[in-house]
Amino acid sequence: MAAWIAGLIVLAVIIWAIVAYNRLIAFRNSISNAHGQIDVQLRRRYDLVPNLVEVARKYMQHERETLQAVTLARARAVSASDALRAKPSSAPAAAALADAEGALSLGLGRLLVLSEAYPELKANESLRDLREELTSTENRVAFTRQAYNDEVLAFNNALQSFPDLMVAKVFGFEAAGVLRSTDNAQQRETVRIAL
Amino acid sequence: MAFAGFVVLLILAVNAALFLAMLAWPLNWWGGFTLPRSFFETNTFVVLLFVLGGWWLESGQFAQGGLALAQRLGAQRIPEEGADFAQQQLRNIALEQTLAANMPMPTVLVLPRVQEVNAFAAGWRPADWAIVVTDGALQALSRDELEGLVAHELSHLREGDTLLNMRLAGMVGGLDMLYNFGRSIAQPDLDSRERGPWALFGFAIMACGWVGHLCGQLLKSAVSREREYLADARAVQWTRNKEGLGRTLRKVLYLQRQDLRAMPTHSCVQHMLLIDTQEAHGRLSDWLASHPTLDQRIERIYGEPMDEVYAQTPR
Repeated sequence: MAAWIAGLIVLAVIIWAIVAYNRLIAFRNSISNAHGQIDVQLRRRYDLVPNLVEVARKYMQHERETLQAVTLARARAVSASDALRAKPSSAPAAAALADAEGALSLGLGRLLVLSEAYPELKANESLRDLREELTSTENRVAFTRQAYNDEVLAFNNALQSFPDLMVAKVFGFEAAGVLRSTDNAQQRETVRIAL
Repeated sequence: MAFAGFVVLLILAVNAALFLAMLAWPLNWWGGFTLPRSFFETNTFVVLLFVLGGWWLESGQFAQGGLALAQRLGAQRIPEEGADFAQQQLRNIALEQTLAANMPMPTVLVLPRVQEVNAFAAGWRPADWAIVVTDGALQALSRDELEGLVAHELSHLREGDTLLNMRLAGMVGGLDMLYNFGRSIAQPDLDSRERGPWALFGFAIMACGWVGHLCGQLLKSAVSREREYLADARAVQWTRNKEGLGRTLRKVLYLQRQDLRAMPTHSCVQHMLLIDTQEAHGRLSDWLASHPTLDQRIERIYGEPMDEVYAQTPR
C-alpha cells in the first residue's frame, strides 16, 4: 500500500516536471520568434528608408541635414547589421548595431516631427501618405521590441518562480535579457523647429 | 460539459411539465387517467431533436469561419492596391498591433455605410480570423484611438474568445429552438382565433424552453463580460497607451448621449462587438447584457470615472 502511494507521488512529480519543462520550452520558442520579428522589421526599415527620404526631399528642401543624417544612419545600421550577422556572438558588434539603430530611429522620428511642421502641406496627400508610412514603420520596430520584452518578462517570471524554478535549474534554463533604450544624451537632444 | 448536463435537466423539465399538462388534459377527466404509450421516450426524443438540431443549425452559420461571416454581414476586404488613406492606415495599425501581440495577422475588413462607431472580431482559427471596423469608426477616431480599438478586437481573437463565443452562440440557438417550437403550438388558431386544449402543451414546452434560453443567455453574458474587461486590459498593454481605447469609449459615450440610434446588428455577432448595441435597463437586463456598461469599462481603464469626449457626429 505504502509502495503504491509512493509510486503515485513519484509519477505525479514526473508529470508535473514534464509539463513545467514544456511550458518553459514554449516560452523560449516564442521569445526567439519575437526576436526574429525584430530582425524582419529592421530589414524592412532599411529597404524603405531610401524611398522615404526620396519623397521627403521633394517637400522638405530645408531639412537637408536631417535627411542626410537619416541616410547616413541607415548606411551605418546596414553595415553594423551585416557585421553582426558575420559574427553573431560579438558583443561590440551588437552594441554598434544597437547604437546605429538608435540613431536611425531618432532621425526618422525627427523627420516625422518636422513633416508635421509644414502647415501648407498638411492637406498634401503624398506627404500624408509619407507621414503614415513613417509612423507605421517606426511603430512596427517599436512594437516588435515591446513584444520581445513582454515575452522575456513572461519567460523570466515563469523561470524564477517556485516550483518551476527547480525544473529550470535542472535543465539549465537561463533568464533572457530585455532590450533597453540605447539613446545617449547627445542623441536625445530635442528636435528644434525653426518657423 | 455544462451544456450536456443542462440538456439532461431540460429533458427532465420538459417531461415533468408535459406530465402535468397531461394531468390537466380535459379527456382524462372522464375516463381513467392513462398516459399515451412511449410518452416519456417521445418527449425526450423531441427535446433532443430540437436542442441538438438547433445547435447544429446555428453552428452551421459559423461553420465557414469568421471571414465568411463578416462578408455575409456586408463587410468588405481592404483591397491590396488602391485602398484609400483611412483603410490603408487601418491595415497598418492592425499589422503593428499583431506585432505587439506576437500573433498572426487577421483579415481586416470595413463595414461600409455604417455611421456607428463599432467593430467586431470573428474566426475559428488564424486562417479565417477577421476583424471588422465600421466606416463610422474610421471617420470619428484618430490613429491612436483606432489603435486601441483594433488591439481590443485582436485580444478577442488571440485569447480564443471568438471561438468560445461562436460555440456558445450555437448552444443558445439550440435552446431557443425549443422555446419557438412551444410558442408555435401555443399560438391561437388562425381561423377560429381560439386556443385549442393542446396549447397547454405549448405553454409547458415554452416555459421549459424559456428557462433554458434564459440560463443560456446568462452563461453567455457572464463569460462575455469578463472577456470584455480582459480585452480592454490587453489593448492597454499592447498599445502602452490607455488614452487610445479610453478615448474611443468616451467618444462612443458622447455619441450615444447624442441619441444616435445604434444600428440593429445581426444577433449572432452581438457578443463579439466592441460596444453592445442593445440598451440594458434594470437588474435582469444587466445580468443578460453581453458587455459591461461603457462607464464601468472607462472607469477600469483610467482607474477613475471620466467624462465623455466630443466626437464629430457623422452626417
